[in-house]
Amino acid sequence: MTAPLVFSQGTGLLLAVILGIFFGLFLERGGLGNPHKLTGVFYLTDFTVPKVMFTAIIVAATGLYLLSDLKLLDMSRVWIVPTFFWPQLLGGALFGIGFVFSGYCPGTAVAGFASGRIDALVTMAGIGAGSFVFAILYPYIEGFYLSSPMDGATLPKVLGISHWFVMVFVYALAGGMFYLMERYERRN
Amino acid sequence: MKRNDFWSPYVAGAGLGLTLLATFTIVGWGLGASSAFSLLTGVGMSKLSPEYAQSLEYFSQYLNVKAPLMNWVLFEIIGLFFGALAAAHIGGNFKFKLDKGANMGNGTRLFTAFGGGILIGFASRLARGCTSGVALSGGAQLAVSGWIFVISMFIGGFIVAALFRMLWS
Repeated sequence: MTAPLVFSQGTGLLLAVILGIFFGLFLERGGLGNPHKLTGVFYLTDFTVPKVMFTAIIVAATGLYLLSDLKLLDMSRVWIVPTFFWPQLLGGALFGIGFVFSGYCPGTAVAGFASGRIDALVTMAGIGAGSFVFAILYPYIEGFYLSSPMDGATLPKVLGISHWFVMVFVYALAGGMFYLMERYERRN
Repeated sequence: MKRNDFWSPYVAGAGLGLTLLATFTIVGWGLGASSAFSLLTGVGMSKLSPEYAQSLEYFSQYLNVKAPLMNWVLFEIIGLFFGALAAAHIGGNFKFKLDKGANMGNGTRLFTAFGGGILIGFASRLARGCTSGVALSGGAQLAVSGWIFVISMFIGGFIVAALFRMLWS
């Protein structure tokens, strides 16, 4: 039997709640319900966000490709986050702007609200409003929204190199960043 | 445990990574967040004005299913809320407050929280997800989407932080 497993809808939703509980637990305990820590990287005062984010990416990516190589997980049945180059480049930049203004992203706003922050609830309402604005404008921006599709493109496939070769760059990038951030924090 | 005694970001990050890996392995996709907000907005709209909600083509993906609220990301977000609530209580970190930068008034904070949220909500739809669904899940899959999003998000954030120092410092 290879993963991912197949469940009924009810079991799937129960698993969603359980996995979500762990998601929320690690976000809050990592300090990611706190907008000062969430925005610290952009002011070079607190590097919690890149440390948590790149550690999580490294752990999950290493596990994912290891399980796939060991034939314990069928990668062709894992839904790969699709790429639409230009919309995601612009979307990412707009997202970064909104992130610094509000001090949250969608998941961390929920974690912030769960730790008693009223401003996080206001941001959650804003995210709903922003989704509504998108739905209203959708007929006018549909062309751009659907432009530059690359389906489930991954860096190893696009670059035509082994996923472990890409991972070496990811390890080096994260390791280098962690080293510089720790050194900078000690100095200040 | 004393207030604000958070875990090492590397420990929290490893826990988050294992949660994401478990999600890939068990259900076959990654974690998400922003689509739950879009879904709830679409469903809320359909309760207020069914005709208007149906006229918005983008929301039809949520409304033209048998039970719109039986949604995987929505249930995951409900779990996220209770996981974070428990964690905040364990850490003695739960407190009702309007959190803001040191030099910011309450009115300004409400504006930045809501306005920033609007940008995030719009940007997440354009990018097909947010820091959870695209940056973290896509990044860990080595998907092109995840890495484009991470890079442009940091560039956008650094520019705003440089132009608006008073927001958080």
